[in-house]
This record gives sequence, structure tokens and C-alpha cells, in this order.
Amino acid sequence: MSQSTNQPKWTALLAKHETVLLAVILVEILLFQNLGRNFLAESNVSNIFRHSVEIGLLALVMTPVILTGGIDLSLGSMMGLCAVVFGLLVKQFDVSPWLAAVAAISLGAFGGMGNAFLITRMNLPPLIVTLGTFSLFRGLAEALTKGSEAYSGFPQGFLNLGNANVLGLPAQLWVFFFITLLVWVLVHRTVWGRSLQAIGFAPQGARYAGISVGRNTGMAYVLAGAIAGLAAVILVARLGEARANIGIGYELLAITAVVLGGTSIFGGSGSISGTLLGYVAIAILNNGLSRITAHQIFDQPVSSVARELSGMLTGLLLLLALAAGVLLKSLATRRARRQSLITTTNPTPST
Amino acid sequence: MKTIPRVLPLFLTCIAAVSMVGCKSQTSSGGGEKLTIGLLPKSKGNQYFVTCEKGARLAAADLGAELLFDGPTNTDPAKQNEIVENWISLGVDVIAAACENKDGISTALKKAQQAGIKVVTYDADAQPDARSFFVNQATEQGIGDQLMDTAAALTGGEGEFAIITATLTAANTNEWIKYIKERQAAKYPNMKLVEVKPCDDQKDKAQQETTNLLSAYPNLKAVIAVCSPGVPGAAEAVKQAGKAGQVKVLGLGLPSENKAYVKEGVTQAVVLWKVEDLGYLTVQVAAAVAQGKLQAGATEFDAGKLGKLEIQGDNVLLGKPFVFTKENIDQFDF
Repeated sequence: MSQSTNQPKWTALLAKHETVLLAVILVEILLFQNLGRNFLAESNVSNIFRHSVEIGLLALVMTPVILTGGIDLSLGSMMGLCAVVFGLLVKQFDVSPWLAAVAAISLGAFGGMGNAFLITRMNLPPLIVTLGTFSLFRGLAEALTKGSEAYSGFPQGFLNLGNANVLGLPAQLWVFFFITLLVWVLVHRTVWGRSLQAIGFAPQGARYAGISVGRNTGMAYVLAGAIAGLAAVILVARLGEARANIGIGYELLAITAVVLGGTSIFGGSGSISGTLLGYVAIAILNNGLSRITAHQIFDQPVSSVARELSGMLTGLLLLLALAAGVLLKSLATRRARRQSLITTTNPTPST
Repeated sequence: MKTIPRVLPLFLTCIAAVSMVGCKSQTSSGGGEKLTIGLLPKSKGNQYFVTCEKGARLAAADLGAELLFDGPTNTDPAKQNEIVENWISLGVDVIAAACENKDGISTALKKAQQAGIKVVTYDADAQPDARSFFVNQATEQGIGDQLMDTAAALTGGEGEFAIITATLTAANTNEWIKYIKERQAAKYPNMKLVEVKPCDDQKDKAQQETTNLLSAYPNLKAVIAVCSPGVPGAAEAVKQAGKAGQVKVLGLGLPSENKAYVKEGVTQAVVLWKVEDLGYLTVQVAAAVAQGKLQAGATEFDAGKLGKLEIQGDNVLLGKPFVFTKENIDQFDF
């Protein structure tokens, strides 16, 4: 039946948020290839993903949460807590890093369960609940380390997870691929995933349709917590050090990637592929800016200015992409309406 | 919804394409022509490191080297590592780092060494096997001696003095106090340390403790503060007690934090290294290491305008700390 929208196909494609983002990514690559130094060197392409995989992971699991109309501000703090507990287990209790990693992921899931309980059983707003656990988890991490202690000296085999290449790609990127596939299947190929969109679109309606709103919403937070634990383990493997202030602010970058990817912050619509592209756009921007070194503006070497622009440009990118998305969508619908007026005898079926 | 399966492979090919283009267009890294030095501060906005950068630029200009100065702007502990790793793929020749998290940054610095990049540290050291030299701004003994000598010079070498420290358990301040005591015993027999008081690195507490000291020891001649909030704290107490000039105040701190008290004549001396010189020396050392002019085992280093400096083990010493007084403090802005 995909033949039916034959006529306005290119506008429909253009109106897709993903297309806009692909264009943005392409522009970024071209720009940084010209302005940046060794931007497309293999080692730097690795860096782009190596340095941002944690944010990518958070963005992936933030998507189902936002699909339900919720939000999880506690994920960055959760990373701090999981990292500290991981370090504690390995260094103080001589647990093997891989077992400790499982523990960290479980702890993340457990923390997510706490969020889920407060949100779905106590009916508290997700923003408030996770704002609370945002402070709580970080506070716990700081208390466990007295704010200053850090754990290091992990075995090389474990550090490889954060620093080595497997089949030419950073090791953690393979983990990311696997989680991407997992989350994509969960969100787009399961009843649970479908139910999230229904819940986000109209929670009451979903309830009347027989969807277990509480349980299904809660699972999104549990998944988010578990993957935050995984992200913490990967970050510790990359740094070779576990400390309480790991992952500060990562949840906000993850939310940015999700919204940039076209997921509605009010819930109900969005996609994992959009989130992926949003994440890549942010990752490339942050990396590319740090590679502009040769240019001078106002006698100031740009290298000492460029990276500071990343926050500003990330914000601008988000706003522009959203505006462009809205604009193109309205163009497309206007065109489609005109089409359907002309061919009233053959109305376009809605998807 | 239908487009999603189509976009996912698109994304994957996107990554693959970028990687493949990358393999081909990997350019040679600067190579022969110009030496590229990456200078990593603990934090970029900090006035201390901005001053370091000033000296570093001077040295880079002298040497005809290119200087990249980049550091974290927030407290994310991953940032220093990411900057170092970006510099590795950028192809810098040498990296000079002031380490915020000793163990964390060492992971990245060792990676740089494996990639054939020389590494030195300054201000705060990394693990010893993650760098070839540490540019040491001041030894513990150097600081202790300088503080004691300055106190003695201000009081004419006799009378009671007290010390304000950060906490009684902080390792570095205890080392400094140890050398102050040793110096006093060896050179100034007519001076007497009456008490060491902790201020928990807080100005208010330092002020309160100094007020107590002033009433407990009416013959007190000097207060030495070995933590930076302690110096203005002690000065405020002495000022409010109306004993400015009568009880000398000196200590380890930033000139900018003490400028007002120094000009009023409450604080007589602030002891610190010249931060700009630290940046200058760091770049000189980094360049020399990269060019093979400075190698393990050297005992002396010719540091351009700073002259010949001593090397102890793998520490290049900036030399005796500098004393900032009413006469010269206006020339410094850190």
C-alpha cells in the first residue's frame, strides 16, 4: 500500500524529521572536514563515538520514557552512583569487574524501579520524582566516597572495554549497537513499545483500551536505570577511574538528543532512529568544534574559543531543527491537502 | 512508523561511510615543520591557568611552536581525558597536563605515549609512568623555607608566631609546616611557634581563630597562613583588632585575593610562585622533551629567560617561591 502516496513522495520524505537531521549531519561533516584538523582521521571518527557512547545510551533509553510523556532527570546521577558502587565492589571487595558490572546494571534497574514506583504507584509527576532522585543518587555516590575518594587500577582486560578496538571499531560501540537493536525492537516491534505511544498520546484512552498503564510506564524507567548503569561501567572503563561526579549533566544532553530526534516532549510520538540521528548530530558537533585550531578570529586562536561554542550551538541546532521540522511538515500537509482537493475522486488513504 | 526500518540501515551506513572516508583521508600529522604543543589546564576559566597560558604563549612564540590551550569548563571528570584523546588524533607532538584526577587522566596520557606523543605534567602530577617530566612549581621545602624566612625578615627574627592551616590532616600543609619548624629551629632560635590552628579552608573560620590567637597571645608578632583562604581571614582579624602592622600577616595565596589587605598594610607578604613563569617553563620543557634535548637523567635545564634551573629526579624545579609585597603586587593579576 505504500504506492498510494505516489505523488507527494519527495515532500513527504523531506518533511520527515530524520531527513532534516541527516542533512544537518552532512553539513556538519562537510564543515568540520574543511575547518577542523584531521577531523575525518580514523582515530578521530573513533573518538567521536568513544566519547559520546554514554550519552547515546542514555538517549536511547530516554526515548521510551519521553514517549510515555515522562522524563528521567536522574540518569546522570544514577551513573555516578553505579560507578561508585562498581568501583567499591572491585577495589574493596575484590569482586571481578564483570560481576561488578552486572551488579551496577542491576543497581541501575533497582533505582529505576524506585522512580517507577513513585511515578506510577504514588502518581507523582516524573519531573518532580526524578528531580528528587537526581539529588538523591548523586548524594549517595558522594556520601559513599566522602566526596573525594576515587577508585582506580582496574585490570587491563576491563579497561579495554573503554579503550580498545574490536574489528576496527571502539569496543563500546559494539555494545551500543547491541543496545540500539534491543531498544529499537522493544520500542517499535513489541506490544509494550506500541503501548508506550498510546500512553503518551492519551493515558486515559490507553487505560480504557485495556493497557496496563502503570506497569508499562514503569518498565521504561527500569530499562532507563539499567542502561544508565551500563553507561557508567563503560565510562569507568574508558577513564580507568570511578568517582562520584561521573556523568554530571549527561541526562540533559540525552534529552536534547531525543527531542532533536523528533520525539515529542509531551509523549505519544517519536522514534529510536530519530534519537540516533539526534545523538550523532550532537556528538559530531561537540567533537568537531574541538578540532578547529588553525583559524584566528580577532587575533584570538580559535581553539581556545571553539569548544565553548558547543553549548550554544547545540542549543541553536535544537531550536533550528525543531523549527525546520515544523515548517516542512506544514508545507507538506498544505501540499497534500491541495493534492487531495484535486483528486477528490481518489482520496489518499491515511497511514 | 513505516520509515523506521528504512532509516536504521541508513544510519548504520552513515557511520560506515564516515569511517571509510576517514581511513582514506587520514592526513599526516603536522610532521616536520612546526612543533605542536597541547597545554591542558585543570580548568580553563580559572584565572590561575589563564595566567599560566599567558606565559606559555610567550614561550611558544619564542620557540616558534604552535600552542593549543584547552581544558574543561565544567566539573565532568571525563573532559580532560577527552581533550587528550582528541589531541592524540589531532597529531600534536607533545602534551603538557595539569592533572585534576591523577589516575583518570593517566589512562589517557599513557595512550598518548603509546601513540608516540611525549607527555610532561605541570602544577599537579600524574602517575609517574604516564609522563617523562613533572614541572614542579615549588617543592614542599622551598615553600616552608620561604615562608619562615619571610616571617623572620618581617619580625626581625624574634618573637612568637602562630600558623593557620587548612586541616590538621591535610598532607601537603603538614609537610609545609614541618619545613617551617625545621627552618625555625635551624636558623631563627629567637622565634617561637605558639600554636597551629586549622581553619577548614574557610576564611570566616581563619578570621575567628586568628582573633582567638590575638587575645590568647598578646605578644604575637606574626601569623603565617599556609592555606589560601587563611591569608585574607587572618588579615581581617588583625585589622579588626586594630593591630595592623603590629602583628605581621603573611601566607601562601593568590596575590589577587590579598591585594586589598597588602595595600592597606595589614598583610605584609604573600608567597607563591610566579604563575606566568610556570606556564613559560612548562612549554620550554615540553618543547625540549619533544625535540629530544631534555632526557631522563638530566640535572639541569636551560629555560630561556628563566635561566638555568635545577632538575631533581624527574622534577624540573621552577625555583624558590616568589614573595609578593606592597611594592610589586600591582604587576600581577592572578
